[in-house]
Amino acid sequence: MRIRANICLLLAGALVVAGCQGSAGTGPEENQVGPPQRGGALTVLLDSAFSGSWPSGLDPATNTTGGGNLTQMLAIYGGLFRLVADDNGKNARVVPHQASGFEFADGGRTVRIKLKPGITFTDGTPFDAEAVAFNIKRDMESTCTCRPTWQLAAADPITTEGTDTVVLKFAQPSAAVITSFVVSNVNWVASPTALRQMGPDAFRIKPVGAGPFKVVSNQLSSELVLERNANYFVKDRPYLDKLTIRSIGGDQPAYQALLAGQGNVYEGMTTIPLLEQAKANNRLVVTQQPATSPYVIQLNTKIPPFNNKRAREAIYYATNVEAIRQGLFKGAYPASQSFTADGGLFHHATVPNYRTYDLQKAKDIVAELGGLSVDLGTLKTYVADQVNTALQTQWEAAGIKTTIHSEQLNGLVQNFVGGKWQAMLQTAGAWDPAAGVGVAFRFGTMSPFSGISDPTVDGLLQQAAETPDAAKRDQFYVQLGQRISDEAYAPFILAFAPYSVVTKNVHGPGLTTPIPPVVVNTAILWDEAWISK
Amino acid sequence: MSRSSPVPRVVPAVLGSPALRLAGWRLLTAVPILLGVSILMFILLNLIPGSAAVQLLGPEATPQQIAQLEEEMGLNRPPVVRYVDWLSHAVRGDLGRSLVSRQPIADVLPARLAVTGELVGLAFVISLVVAIPLALLAARRPNRLLDRVSMVVSTAGLSVANYVLALLLVLLFAVKLSWFPAIGYVPLSESVSGNLHAMALPAFAMAFPLLCFYTRFLRSDLVDQMQGQDYVMTARAKGLGPWQVLLRHAFRNSSFGLITIVGLNISGLIGATVIIESIFSLPGIGQYLLQGILTRDYIVVQAIVLVFAIITVLANLMADVLYAVLDPRIRYGNH
Repeated sequence: MRIRANICLLLAGALVVAGCQGSAGTGPEENQVGPPQRGGALTVLLDSAFSGSWPSGLDPATNTTGGGNLTQMLAIYGGLFRLVADDNGKNARVVPHQASGFEFADGGRTVRIKLKPGITFTDGTPFDAEAVAFNIKRDMESTCTCRPTWQLAAADPITTEGTDTVVLKFAQPSAAVITSFVVSNVNWVASPTALRQMGPDAFRIKPVGAGPFKVVSNQLSSELVLERNANYFVKDRPYLDKLTIRSIGGDQPAYQALLAGQGNVYEGMTTIPLLEQAKANNRLVVTQQPATSPYVIQLNTKIPPFNNKRAREAIYYATNVEAIRQGLFKGAYPASQSFTADGGLFHHATVPNYRTYDLQKAKDIVAELGGLSVDLGTLKTYVADQVNTALQTQWEAAGIKTTIHSEQLNGLVQNFVGGKWQAMLQTAGAWDPAAGVGVAFRFGTMSPFSGISDPTVDGLLQQAAETPDAAKRDQFYVQLGQRISDEAYAPFILAFAPYSVVTKNVHGPGLTTPIPPVVVNTAILWDEAWISK
Repeated sequence: MSRSSPVPRVVPAVLGSPALRLAGWRLLTAVPILLGVSILMFILLNLIPGSAAVQLLGPEATPQQIAQLEEEMGLNRPPVVRYVDWLSHAVRGDLGRSLVSRQPIADVLPARLAVTGELVGLAFVISLVVAIPLALLAARRPNRLLDRVSMVVSTAGLSVANYVLALLLVLLFAVKLSWFPAIGYVPLSESVSGNLHAMALPAFAMAFPLLCFYTRFLRSDLVDQMQGQDYVMTARAKGLGPWQVLLRHAFRNSSFGLITIVGLNISGLIGATVIIESIFSLPGIGQYLLQGILTRDYIVVQAIVLVFAIITVLANLMADVLYAVLDPRIRYGNH
């Protein structure tokens, strides 16, 4: 009798648990609240496979994963410049932050960056031109892919004028100099005094910057605890007293931690079923960032089968982007026909005469070629694996024999460098196509990660990178997209856009209002983040 | 008759003790075992494609950047040179500096080892505290309701992967019921109750498959003992009650098997911490090891594997010593 009663209790408990469901959730536009409130602590969860990993520490010159650690770096260092946008994510632009302004000279070969007066590092030392120049020199020598790809002048490329102006000189004009700050480590200025006193090994663990927060403790790739910088140069900022950044093993545990109240923010959620649950949960706010980096199927035109344009065309016709968009991602991500997306600069939704899905044409070309076999690789991530599997199914329907594989990073790099790869699903582009490693990384002749060798493409890339006139740059990128399409170099799929999931009491740019990702993740403005009580 | 001092009598007795000789022999044989483990691990790490440089720089690294970072990290040296360099420092207690973070491993390990040690310790305690009484109760009345229910539950428990169980526990006890935190760690020095509260779910996630296994194993052995052994009949014939026979005789004999299983499970349990620490965001050795593998930081991986090997050797040594404590035949070298 007692046992039966216990079993009934267990069943009743299970039913109660199963019955608990949240009601419809809120999106950012519905989350209207009053003015920002001072105080409070926020816990940010980051995926340990990417942004939640900072194994080499947080010194801008030695953090080899700096591009993925935007949250940590921006919270500690702030930034000379930052990317901001309107509340709807539109009209994104780079604005000075710790800098007060900039001006170009010498036909775009010289840029003067003026600093805001009165800024100090958290150790009390001045944030002046000498400190900035010191950092830029140090960062340019760093071994990090987050280092800018500037072609500096041979003589005195980094100098100062007075205490508030840094002068950069380039070998050739660079249109993306200022936008490249927000995607690279030169944006994060470390205290030279603290660096000298602590030594580089200690500094990378407990760095000193002039950002909205300062480091209390840092357990690499586990937990970073930050407290408010009381001497932050923006009055009454930051709003938060404490920011804790914690590494967590993926979307599922992060989602559960948010619901359980052990986290307030999770950046970069990609699992569609969890996103749907989060959107339906009234305790959470889900914000989709504008897309900036489309997925592209790079085709290696240097070796068979894709040294044959007809084979490349078959791939275009066999790829049903809309089916992937809807079937896998419920229409969450927009389709692209070029290396830009609607959240970035110089975006055009369509490319004239772009080859779209046509199964019969694909089959006809395969028959004309006498058959086609393709090896399709990608980096081992949730989204890429799913897309690759879908592509295999689609291409097989067109008679293209397809083998797929996903690699860990080391394997992927080896594949590219070995030159024997045939097709690779990768991402291309950034908010500014010329910033960071740029589109040249995927399409330039000299890049080991490119599948094409085309002087016309190289010329267009260079001209677009050098031209300061935005309208002219736009034209060059239109021509570039047209060239890639006409020659069938690489079909584009969809523009992946990360999601931020936050608890309902959290607010701030990049958290509850979208900001386009600089490259992969969004640069959240931590001094503007706040929590309602 | 003069009384000789007890000290001189005890010393040769202790030194001549078979148990101590056994322990000494085990420790001696541990040295080549540890050496072999370190060599094997080093070979395996070098067989994995790529390097720490590639892993750290990411997918946009050029071959030139990779080569530059490899030189900075000393990864362009021949593997034998790197191993000998590492070994020469390790034997002096210097486990080296992380290739990636430049932190001395000896500075990082103790705090992380404490977290993992506590997690594994709690898992063991929970598993044994639940499994032993349950197995005894089940074996006392085999094939009755409690026995059948415990066997079904333990079979189900063994069928569920520990990471699935972990997520289910979080969903029920942290998200729905809010009884325990979903993630995080509170150091013991900060709050004992907070620490135990935070460790409850991860420890149980690790303990549950173990207790299922121990329950089944011990129950089966006890039933065999109770039903098949002559000494049990003798004990009953002497007038001992069933619980007395079970506890004083059958359980004592069955405990040898349990001790062996527990000792062998140490290494598996340590491996499980990698997943559990990742799910619960615990700053332990498992998380550190995972980072080391993902970044190809062979210095970190070598150090942790060496520590694990030492722990495994010591755990099995403890099991052997416990045999000697429980079995007088071993203690006095008559086995």
